[in-house]
Amino acid sequence: MNRDKFKKTATAWLIMAPSLILFAFFVWEPLLESIRLSLYTAKGIRLQAFVGLGNYFSVFQQPDFLPAILNTVSYTIWSLIIGFFILIIIAVLVTETVHLKSFFRMGVYFPNIMPGMAAVMMWGFLLKPGKLGVLNIIFSWIGIQPLNWLTNPLWTIPLIVATLTWKNAGTTALIYMAAVDSINPELYEAAAIDGARTWARIRYITIPHIFGLGKTLLILQIISVFQILYEPLVLTNGGPNNASISIMQLVFKYAFQDFNYPGAAALSVIICFILVILTAVYFKVTKFKEADGGAN
Amino acid sequence: MKRVISIALSLAMALTAMTGCAQQTATNAQSQPAASEAVSQAAQSAPAEKVTVKLGIWPEDNLKEDIKMHEGFVKTFATTHPNVTIEPDYYKYAVDTFVSLAESGKLPTVFESWYTEPKKLIDGDFVADITDELKECNWPLDSINPIVSQLLTRDGHVYGVPRDGYSLGLMVNVALFKEAGLVNADGTPQYPKTWDELAVTAQKIKQKTGQAGLCLLGKDGAGGWHFSNIAWGFGATLVTEDNGKFVSHLNSPEAVAAMNYVKDLKWKYDCLTADPTSEDWASGFVELGTGSAAMLIGANDAVNQPTQVNGLPVGDLALEPVPAGPKGQYSLAGGTPYMFAKNATKEEIKAALDYIEIMGKSPKATEDTINGIKADAENHKNSGVPVIPRFPAWTDKKLLDAEDQIIKQYSNVNMNLYNDYYKAINTPGNLRLEEPGDAQNMYSELAKVIQACVTNKNADVQKLMDTAQANFQKILDTQVNKK
Repeated sequence: MNRDKFKKTATAWLIMAPSLILFAFFVWEPLLESIRLSLYTAKGIRLQAFVGLGNYFSVFQQPDFLPAILNTVSYTIWSLIIGFFILIIIAVLVTETVHLKSFFRMGVYFPNIMPGMAAVMMWGFLLKPGKLGVLNIIFSWIGIQPLNWLTNPLWTIPLIVATLTWKNAGTTALIYMAAVDSINPELYEAAAIDGARTWARIRYITIPHIFGLGKTLLILQIISVFQILYEPLVLTNGGPNNASISIMQLVFKYAFQDFNYPGAAALSVIICFILVILTAVYFKVTKFKEADGGAN
Repeated sequence: MKRVISIALSLAMALTAMTGCAQQTATNAQSQPAASEAVSQAAQSAPAEKVTVKLGIWPEDNLKEDIKMHEGFVKTFATTHPNVTIEPDYYKYAVDTFVSLAESGKLPTVFESWYTEPKKLIDGDFVADITDELKECNWPLDSINPIVSQLLTRDGHVYGVPRDGYSLGLMVNVALFKEAGLVNADGTPQYPKTWDELAVTAQKIKQKTGQAGLCLLGKDGAGGWHFSNIAWGFGATLVTEDNGKFVSHLNSPEAVAAMNYVKDLKWKYDCLTADPTSEDWASGFVELGTGSAAMLIGANDAVNQPTQVNGLPVGDLALEPVPAGPKGQYSLAGGTPYMFAKNATKEEIKAALDYIEIMGKSPKATEDTINGIKADAENHKNSGVPVIPRFPAWTDKKLLDAEDQIIKQYSNVNMNLYNDYYKAINTPGNLRLEEPGDAQNMYSELAKVIQACVTNKNADVQKLMDTAQANFQKILDTQVNKK
């Protein structure tokens, strides 16, 4: 009996083995090691003395902690405002386009093929304040005075999120486009026969069909934006006056500027904890979606 | 059949995943005999043990002239150290690469760090205690300039030697001063003697040339570093020590007055570069060197930055004293250290010290050292870097005299562009060290206030400095004072 069971499962285990080994080395072991590190004092990454939750309390007490958490939530909210619905609109518009469809598709995806750091630096030049910023030069042609862009604390996070959306929109938009394309065209034909115009087709056919996908992508977007690091690091270094510092940037500062690895580990575990909660929500949402799919 | 194929494929995948490790093991296994051989050879040929010194202080690839100079040093070194192999291993110290290198034992034997780092590197046990090696190499420990010595010594143990010292001054782009008509008959710039004069001068330059009068750093801690020097002129002492506990005074009336001055530079005089919040140490030199800013707080050890690195003709740079505030004139002083990997052996460290001697950076006025200083001066001259006196890292008179001679011999600048600076820093009471406690976090807090002041016309300086004070005192109490 056991032998039969072994025979049945051996191949499966062998297929999984490389992934399991890689996961163990590159994901689980560092994760557990981070938790251990967060409970000790250390010189470099050499553990010194067990301090329990001491590093966590210390991290909470640091003056940059609160602005970093609030900013990270702000990044997430702005990313939903700027970077969620627009992509659906783009996907629907491109799909509805009759002429030059491939051109528009490529156009939407194009920023994705740019190296991330190059894109961020390019935006740095575009958004430079004063008379030498590229956008300010363009605006000056129509008589607009130079704008402060990223140095205006109220604009910093929305602008960073806008650059982020520009860079990453392509992939998500393509997924939506694929979903829209997969809708049975007979539904549209039937709707057209019934006299439905474009908006009615979108409202009653397209949106209901991509709704489940949207719910999943929304949670994935939150998880991703919550870990925003290099955009604020390069564009503003967290400034002005902490207006754009993110929680991951604080981890970076602890680890690579202060050599405070236990502090960085403690903060990482906190982020992990928050994201686990979000992932639980994600699971619930996808389960819901599956139920939707079953009903369809 | 399908099952056989799938098992074979999965085995292949598993093997592929392990290839990396297997390869590493094989490489290690292969290198093992060679290493043992080296050890046995060393054992046989003792005391002239085979030693390899990895030089992190080797110049980077694009500095051809500097590399040529070092190749000359290596030749000289080989004549007296036949058993030592010098391995160029250029390493530009960077906080995000340092710990990985140190923890994996891959640091070069000797590397250059920044003035801010020794405390962190000594605390983290990343660098070697070289007290014994210095004694064995007859380096007179008591002749390290006390200003620099304080940075490199802990409980009587020495952890590094100074490359050179520095003292902040005011770097001036003479060409922009000329364009604004702010030069004397002898061609020297009419540089500002006080902070008030600086604001007016910088404003004039911006109005007349369209370029910024001053490049103020506001992106990171370097802004706070420069600000502390401004604040001293306004009478501020930013940190004091009371019974071993550090107390911050960032919101004192003097410090607030200094910060109000910084705010005025932006909103009252409008004399800064377009975005001070994006200016850091390196970009400041770009602005000055490329003629986008006329003045920058900078030190004597960085005169190669606007010139050699950013193309400013050597005669167009002047270094003047830091302007005086209402309560005096001070210059912040520090040093750039050479430090040694924790895992370096005694023999490696001694060989590295001997190499530093040949480079002309040792405290001993030996022929090697003097030749090294000459080679350095000649290289500076050829590369368009001002040949000016160093801020003395060592106090040995014979060495200082020899150095003076060489500087005069290779001089490539009008010393009238530098004399006032040297006069100022040699005035008793002028030099001040960084504030004690936790200067880096203090600089970060101050940089945030600078950012708020230069981006918000209505910024409440007192309130911002109160917040910085509360934040920094909290950092001191939770991270420094509890120890």
